Amino acid sequence: MECRAVVSSLSDYLDSRNVWASDDEVEQIETHLTNCPTCRNLKLELSEIKNASRELPLHTPPTALWARISKAIEAEISTENGIARVTQKASGWWGWLNSRKFTFSLPQLAAAGAFAAILIVAGISGIFGEKPSPLNFRNAQGSLLLPEEDEIKANLERRMGAINARKAQWDTERRSDFEQRMNRIDESLKRCRNMLEDNPNDAGRREMVRALYDEKRQLLEDVERLKW
Amino acid sequence: MVKEIPSSTQSSKSAAKFLSALTAGFLVLNASATSSGAQTFNRAFAVSPEKSELEVVNQAGTIKVTAGANPNKIVINARHSDGATKINATQNALGKVKVEVTGRGRVDFEIAVPTSSSIDLLSYQGAIVVKNLAGAVRARITEGDIQIDGLRSARVDASCTQGNVSFSGEVLPSGRYTLKSFSGRVDAILPADADFKLSASSFRGGIDLGAFEMKFDKNSHQLVEGSRGAGRASISLWTQEGSIHLRRKP
Repeated sequence: MECRAVVSSLSDYLDSRNVWASDDEVEQIETHLTNCPTCRNLKLELSEIKNASRELPLHTPPTALWARISKAIEAEISTENGIARVTQKASGWWGWLNSRKFTFSLPQLAAAGAFAAILIVAGISGIFGEKPSPLNFRNAQGSLLLPEEDEIKANLERRMGAINARKAQWDTERRSDFEQRMNRIDESLKRCRNMLEDNPNDAGRREMVRALYDEKRQLLEDVERLKW
Repeated sequence: MVKEIPSSTQSSKSAAKFLSALTAGFLVLNASATSSGAQTFNRAFAVSPEKSELEVVNQAGTIKVTAGANPNKIVINARHSDGATKINATQNALGKVKVEVTGRGRVDFEIAVPTSSSIDLLSYQGAIVVKNLAGAVRARITEGDIQIDGLRSARVDASCTQGNVSFSGEVLPSGRYTLKSFSGRVDAILPADADFKLSASSFRGGIDLGAFEMKFDKNSHQLVEGSRGAGRASISLWTQEGSIHLRRKP
C-alpha cells in the first residue's frame, strides 16, 4: 500500500478501524504503518489530536439563547419590513407575482427556509399519517432536546447500518442476544426522553439521555471490535 | 435367616467400596478433563516498562491482568476448551501488544504486565479483573462484572451493559475515573482523604455516598453533583437500573 492511500484512509481508520474496511485492508494499513515512519508519525499526531479533542468539554447553550436569537430575528424583520413590502394588484395574484421583484435580507431568508422545511416535514408526516416516533429528536415546540442529538443519531445509524449488513450471518442466539440488549437500552432511552420532553430544563434527565445514547454507542462499538 | 458378617470382614468391604468409589471418581474426572480438551496458550513479549501497551479483545471468558514480576515483559497465559477458538497475539512496531480471540469458545486469560502499562480490555461475556496497576485502564464488558483493585492510575474507564463494576484504588490529582453499568451496581472504594469532583447518576437504584462529606451542587435521589476538597480529580459514576455506592477505604 502506498503512503497516499494510507494517508487518505488514516482518519477513518482511527475513527472506526473495524467497520469501514475489510480485514485485509486493515492489515495492509497496519503493515504499512509498521514499516513507514512518516505515516506512523502522522497516525500518532492524528491520534493525539483526536484524544485531545475528546477531552474538550461539551458546551450546552443556555435555553435563553434561542429566545434571544428569536427576538433579534423578529426585531430585524419588523425594521426591514419595508424592503419586501408587498401590495396586491387588482389584476390577479399570478400577474402580480410575476411583475414583482422581491428583496430579502439574510435572516428573512433563513427564517423562510426553516419555515419551508417545517411545512415539508409536517406535510410528509401528514400524508403518511405517522404518529410522532417515541425517539423523535425534537420536542413539541420543534427544538432539539439535546443540541448534539442529530449528530449522535447520524453516528448511531451509520454504525447500526454496517452491523445490520453483517447481522444476517450471525447465528440466531447471537442475533437475539444483541437485539434484546439493544431493545432494552432503547426502551430506557424512550422513557427518559419522554421525561425530558415533559421537563426540557431538567439537567439530570438530559445527562441520563446522553448516558443512554453512549451506552448504545458502546454496545455497537463492542460488536465492531469483536468483528462480528 | 440373615447371616451375620464379622466386623473385620465388614470393615474390609467398606474400605474396598471406598477405594472403588475413589477410583471411579478419579476416572470420571480424568475423562471429563480429556473430553473437554483444555488447551493452553502461552506467550511473552519484551516491552519497555515506561510505555507498554496491551489490548485484549475476547469473545467470552475471564481476563485477569495483574502487575508482573518482570518489568520488561508482558506474559500471557490462556486456557480454552474449544478447538475452533483462535488466539492471535501480536506486537506492533511501537511495542503495543494486541491479543484477539476469534470463534465462539470461552478463553480465560491471566496476563502479567509491567505496573505502568496502559491496558484496554474487552470481552462480550465473562469477567474482567485488574489488580495493582498504575497505567491507564479501559475495561469494557457487555455481560459480566468488572473488578479493579489496588489501582494507582490517573485514567480509568470501566463500563458494562449487564453486570457490576467495582473500583478500589488511589484518586490522583487530575485523574479521570469513569465507572458505568447499564443494569448493575457501581461501587467505588476511595481513600478517606480523596480530593475529587463527583457526578453520580442512577435512574432506579439510588445513590449511597457512604461517609464522604461533600459540597453539593445537585443532590437528589437520582443525581448527585458535588466536590470534595479542591475537586481536582473527576469521578463519574452512572447506572441506569442499579445502585451506586461510595465507600471509604478501610
